[in-house]
Amino acid sequence: MLVATDLVKRYGTIQALDGFSLNVAAGEIVGLVGHNGAGKSTFVEIVSYLIRPDGGHVTIDGRPPSATRGEVGVAPQHIALYPSATVREHLELYGRLAGLRRAALSEAVEDLSTVLRLGGIMDRRAGKLSGGQQRRTQAASALVHRPALLLLDEPTAGADLETRQAMLDVVKQRAGEGAAVVYTTHYLPELTELQATIAVAQGGRVIARGTCEELLKDLPGEVRVTLADREEVSVSTSEPTVTLIDLLRRIDRPISAVDVRNPSLDDLYRSLAVHDAP
Amino acid sequence: MLLDSAPPDGSAPRDGSAPRDSTRPAGAPARASRLLDAAYRIGALARHNATLRLRDPGQMISYIVMPMVLMLVLKPLYVRAVDGGAAQVATGLMVMFSVFAISLVGNSILSERTWRTWDRLRVSRAPAPELLIGKTLPLFVVMVVQQTVLLVYGCLAIGLPVPPNPVYVLLAIMIWAFALLAIGALLATVVRSHGELSVISDVGALTLSSLGGALVPLSIMPEWAQLAAHVSPGYWALSMMQAAVRGDAAGAVPPAVVLLAIGLVAGAFAARRLARGWGRGGPM
Repeated sequence: MLVATDLVKRYGTIQALDGFSLNVAAGEIVGLVGHNGAGKSTFVEIVSYLIRPDGGHVTIDGRPPSATRGEVGVAPQHIALYPSATVREHLELYGRLAGLRRAALSEAVEDLSTVLRLGGIMDRRAGKLSGGQQRRTQAASALVHRPALLLLDEPTAGADLETRQAMLDVVKQRAGEGAAVVYTTHYLPELTELQATIAVAQGGRVIARGTCEELLKDLPGEVRVTLADREEVSVSTSEPTVTLIDLLRRIDRPISAVDVRNPSLDDLYRSLAVHDAP
Repeated sequence: MLLDSAPPDGSAPRDGSAPRDSTRPAGAPARASRLLDAAYRIGALARHNATLRLRDPGQMISYIVMPMVLMLVLKPLYVRAVDGGAAQVATGLMVMFSVFAISLVGNSILSERTWRTWDRLRVSRAPAPELLIGKTLPLFVVMVVQQTVLLVYGCLAIGLPVPPNPVYVLLAIMIWAFALLAIGALLATVVRSHGELSVISDVGALTLSSLGGALVPLSIMPEWAQLAAHVSPGYWALSMMQAAVRGDAAGAVPPAVVLLAIGLVAGAFAARRLARGWGRGGPM
């Protein structure tokens, strides 16, 4: 569905993309992760046809982005809503711009209203919504025309639990129907729940690609045992359960808390020697 | 390339949506279909923007009420100062306050950047000219209504002679509104903030319309000002409007051509800037 090869983009002295390549198949969810400045948003903007690359090429369903305008669903990182327009008016506008008419438009709007739990706020103005409600409205605007390629740039940033779950549910649903999804995030548990494959971006290129299991395999998590006298025992381990059992056997003092931390994206970045962009 | 949308035989989608690019019929029907799709998108944008505009009508109302009050107050002065003073005060203030309406257009477009909604529109199927037309169409109607109301008010309350051919006047109003919209759009794409736009549109409007003879008749202005007036769109608008009010078609055509040219150049520049996302990377 989406094939991006050797994309290069430079802004003055900043090399935003430097040989960025990523393929996404229909029905696949790719979690695009990396520190700020890794090139994730620039990649999304190129695929959305908002900016042009200095080098490399992109095809969407075999066509360049110029030929697929309006067929891609884009939810940008920042909230982009009309403060005085209602949620319904947003969905209707973007639906109409995508060519939806009459019954199809009403059906699409009502469907998203249900799936993204917008029912009670459909006729409220965007400027009066909470941050989470605005996130859901923005996502709904990207989804209303049922695009076969979804570009969701940190769609749950700053969102509450309800919004996050609604978003994950709808992304899974759309991928299940065959949509290719690029989902940028800083939250590994979301990608685990989405059963996404992961692409790690650093310095304007993808430096690792695989499933969560493949990439996190052998990465150390952490087991931390807090004793009653507040002394802490912390062990870095790739087998937290075994380590915890071992620790509990060996400690003969009263224990007040036990914390098992599985490998995180930060652990993954550390293992790949990913650093913040300059 | 949408999920469950267009049937594979290339006919219109069963769900009532517009045909997709890859499923369009070829030749003339395809062109007609594309035009209909474009009209539908422009309609959607115009409807949306009209809704937004109607929810915030303060500025529009003030640009209609203020010149009405001023016409009434200044009429005795103009009538005593120049021949045809009633026509001067009515058309002059109408032109002047329609120039102020440039800020309506500019703010409307600039807000899209503030709200970050312009990029959302750019990833839709609508190309920049469609976005620009859809965005400005409601404002075009507002400007035409504003100028029409002021002229009718001029006839009823100020003593402006009733135009022998209202069609000329309507055409003149539409041409002037088009030029103003294009200039406003151009301004919106070159300024960096609402503050900058406010300074340029207010000071510029006052300067250009005054220089054009909207406030003080050109005949009593110094010679250099009479010469400089030719660079002001307000001068051409006033010439066109006064000729149209007199029913003088021949006198209205040259300034109309100048204003159309200004509008086309400014509009093309604005569309180009908007397509490029205000200085971001251009389209591939």
